[in-house]
Amino acid sequence: MKFYKSFKHALNMVLHSKIRSWLTILGIVIGVAAVVAITSLGQSLQQDINSQLGALGGDLVTIRAGASRASGFFGGGGREGQVGGITSSASKEEIVLDKTDVQALRGVEDIKLIETEISGRADVYYVAEKGSTTITGVDQKVWFQITTSKIKDGRMLGPADTNVIVVGGRFASSFFTTQVGINQMVTIGSRLFRIVGILDDESSSIYMPIDSAYETLEDKTKGVYDSIIIKVKNEDELDTAVEHINEKLRISRHVTAAKPDFSLTSNKERQQQREQITSSMTSFLTAIAAVALLVGAVGIANTMFTSVLEKTKEIGIMKAIGARNADILAIFLLNAALIGFIGGVLGIIFGILLSGFLPSLMGGSAGPLSRLSGGVISIQTVFIALFISIMIGVISGVVPAYQASRLRPVDALRFE
Amino acid sequence: MAKAIKKPAQRQVLLHLEDVWKVYQMGEVEVAALKGVTVEIQKGDFVAIIGASGSGKSTMMNLIGCLDMPSKGKIFLKSQDISQLTESNLASLRGITIGFIFQQYNLIPTMTAFENVLLPLEFQEMDDKAAHERARYILDLVGLSDKTFHLPSQLSGGQQQRVSIARSLVSDPEIILADEPTGALDSVTGREILETLHRLWKEEGKTIIMVTHDLNLAQYAHTTIELKDGKIINISQRKEK
Repeated sequence: MKFYKSFKHALNMVLHSKIRSWLTILGIVIGVAAVVAITSLGQSLQQDINSQLGALGGDLVTIRAGASRASGFFGGGGREGQVGGITSSASKEEIVLDKTDVQALRGVEDIKLIETEISGRADVYYVAEKGSTTITGVDQKVWFQITTSKIKDGRMLGPADTNVIVVGGRFASSFFTTQVGINQMVTIGSRLFRIVGILDDESSSIYMPIDSAYETLEDKTKGVYDSIIIKVKNEDELDTAVEHINEKLRISRHVTAAKPDFSLTSNKERQQQREQITSSMTSFLTAIAAVALLVGAVGIANTMFTSVLEKTKEIGIMKAIGARNADILAIFLLNAALIGFIGGVLGIIFGILLSGFLPSLMGGSAGPLSRLSGGVISIQTVFIALFISIMIGVISGVVPAYQASRLRPVDALRFE
Repeated sequence: MAKAIKKPAQRQVLLHLEDVWKVYQMGEVEVAALKGVTVEIQKGDFVAIIGASGSGKSTMMNLIGCLDMPSKGKIFLKSQDISQLTESNLASLRGITIGFIFQQYNLIPTMTAFENVLLPLEFQEMDDKAAHERARYILDLVGLSDKTFHLPSQLSGGQQQRVSIARSLVSDPEIILADEPTGALDSVTGREILETLHRLWKEEGKTIIMVTHDLNLAQYAHTTIELKDGKIINISQRKEK
């Protein structure tokens, strides 16, 4: 029998099948929809991370005092809190970053820009309102070149600026009851600052020249930095640059690789870790969804066995009038594949819809997935899902179809 | 006792059963449904296989129709030993050479009359246009051109049997094998069906093999083979066709 004729008979079987076949299809729909929705959310999460990576800058490296927990916080021989003749208010044991480190880093060839920052929380007053937010003191001569934030309104901090600030988008729009705009004055601590720029982001942070920050933030010592941000020349050679920076700082700070007293994190590394976590989470959830798909596959096999039983007499008739084993096998296999295909198509549609709704279902705008666009699915995923659905149909249908094809016509015709 | 039909000189043997046995295993016991049957059926004959229930006539029909294989002995269809054929070749031979008419019509319930008649041609991979023309022609021949797109459930018993006859004829087979073709019909419709078969034999030269327990129906046949307890006990022939 020609292929398209077999296909026509298989389609006829699906269309004339009882509600059980449609319930079987529903089983596949649920399984595929779950897999697609989870994969879609995973891809969406991945995209979100990638966009964050873009926003943070993959070529940036942040240095902080103190070793990462894995290496032990205190390293041997670290520089203690006395910088440029100014005694730190911190204890003698405290490990800090200072100008010496910046000087040392200037000798690293891979570095394009070095920026120093301090940060802390402070009270902010505007009209009759008060709030507390994060203040970041930045080296305004470099910050505008190193930051990945974009200005929505006004301008960035300039080299000669004092007593001016740039604020985050949320700070301007909703931190206080009334909106805050360019050239308006806010009081931070006891000093008055003029807003010169509003960033195009969702933060409530305030950025000011580092010298102003030393005077505004309590417990900050001039010449001591909370972090040093480095922009490397070539993002592709970030690992080499990180190694060179590590070496330089170890020599400068008289510490060994085994006991460092500073930590170095690249945004890229952080993103990779997040990507890995997301990927593991998506794989885990996909595995759970795959169980649903497996149950759907068992459903197809069950329906196919019942269908073969129901159609035994028809198989006998077909064989009597000239059907070969291969014809019967093809019709039943195509029937199973069609069930998988229909289930797959409907599952993909429901999966995409589901992934669009999931972020809002999981806590609305404040939920953990609220940022995700949802419904993100690559054409590759669609084809893979379809292929898997059809294969599930075919694999589940192989044994029943083979059994149908091997029926002896005389037995099949006698079947009631 | 097995007997052979006397072969007229001008006729050719279409089907030859040679010492055919069919034994079924019923638990521990073996039951022989056919016991050493030897018979020749000529091309263009109208044969009625008669016998009481359990005489082995259905078993014999299944073997003649290549739906089953003998436990012992040989069956030659157009001089071909059917036990030597592959499943695929046997199916093709069945589809081309034999047309089946069943007591319960055995139409596919989800297919229209037209689709049911078309089905054997689809298995033979006939060209669509020619197949459609042929199916329409045959439906017209059995007087069902106005019921082409009716499902079996929308047809009377007689009409369903005529669809079944149309399906058996569509491949233009040499043999029409009818198993109690009027068993589920009233006497008037049954007679119409018999007359159709008789016409096919007389006018189209088809070889008709009919299994029946009704001796009145056997009168339509030229040759009558009587079975009892799995053996042929009598073969009789009417003098003229």
